[in-house]
Amino acid sequence: MEKELTMPKLRPEMENGVLCAWLKEEGDTVAAGEPLFEIETDKVVNQIEATESGVLKKQLFEEGDTVNVETPVAILETK
Amino acid sequence: MLTVLAHSHDPFYNQAFEEFVFQSFQDDDVFLLWQNSPTVIVGSFQNICREVHVETLRRLGIPVVRRMSGGGTVYHDLGNVNYTYITRQDGPLDYDRCLQPVIEALNDIGVPARKNRTCDIAIGEGKISGSAQRSAGGRVLHHGTLLFEADLTVLDQITTHHKNDCFQSKGTVSAICPVTNIADHLAAPMTLEEFKERLLDRMVPPGCPRLTLTAEQESEVCRLRDEKYLSWEWTWGRTPAFTYEKSGTFAGIPIRVAYQAKKGIVSNAEIDCDAVDGDEAARLLNGQRLDPEGFDTICRALAGNRAEELMDWLL
Repeated sequence: MEKELTMPKLRPEMENGVLCAWLKEEGDTVAAGEPLFEIETDKVVNQIEATESGVLKKQLFEEGDTVNVETPVAILETK
Repeated sequence: MLTVLAHSHDPFYNQAFEEFVFQSFQDDDVFLLWQNSPTVIVGSFQNICREVHVETLRRLGIPVVRRMSGGGTVYHDLGNVNYTYITRQDGPLDYDRCLQPVIEALNDIGVPARKNRTCDIAIGEGKISGSAQRSAGGRVLHHGTLLFEADLTVLDQITTHHKNDCFQSKGTVSAICPVTNIADHLAAPMTLEEFKERLLDRMVPPGCPRLTLTAEQESEVCRLRDEKYLSWEWTWGRTPAFTYEKSGTFAGIPIRVAYQAKKGIVSNAEIDCDAVDGDEAARLLNGQRLDPEGFDTICRALAGNRAEELMDWLL
């Protein structure tokens, strides 16, 4: 099953965040709880962890891109 | 609340120390105080070359260290005290939850501090503290500077006048604010050591654990320092992709320098100037790591005794 992972809204005022680093590459296996990517907003770097296990199928943005909240940033293939 | 006592002034060690404590002490809130010898600390996702004048720092012997939190560039010296506050991350990101206890502690020990902007602490209109955060695994690390008796002239030199605008780059840009030292605003004077002691006593009251790392933990910190914080990959390799272009006069004749860098590796390098062998410049620069020492070697090969002057055109 394909699952979209979105840019989280970390505080009520947050409109977008910068995807600063991918911690997994396309094709990598990801276990629930493992770090997937890092975003920065308002001087906070947030490590975003996978909520379920699977394979990172597609990175939808490049490092450095500004992404609006709730926009899909990755596709995870889950079992 | 507990504290782990920090004794080193080595900025690379202290970044590793902080990360180690963040990862290892998960069961309690933690408050740390620590100090760095003169150093420039950049945010996790900043372009070092754009934020500070790399060559000036190299000449002054001031190291550049990349930290794991967001935000902008700061200058540390032994007149500055850093604090770290680690707690659970439940609910939305919230600066005040971490800032308020520190401001109250400062007020209690006689520092007339107040919150300013999103996450600064000020006395009057002068900033005494900037802060940033990292959140991971359900925990948040909040840390900040406290200018007590720092050399504000160096801070000004490094962060303001030498800001480099030849870069087209993504990444976080630093804000520039008027700053002031805490020591200049005290009704009853105290030394920096007294300041640290009183602040620690307010944040981590007597009776709370005051820990020291074991020899084993200590060697873990050193490993993290060597493998991460001292590595080119962390400090320079994480530089956001950028395009650089600068034109002017070198050795009395026109010069134009342009290149790109992705993951810290130079490509499409061009130096147009009759005093420099352009083909050789492209050959030496393309594929080169973004690294002041490496650039210095290239400048020596290309420009001999005008190497320093050429360096100012490259970074």
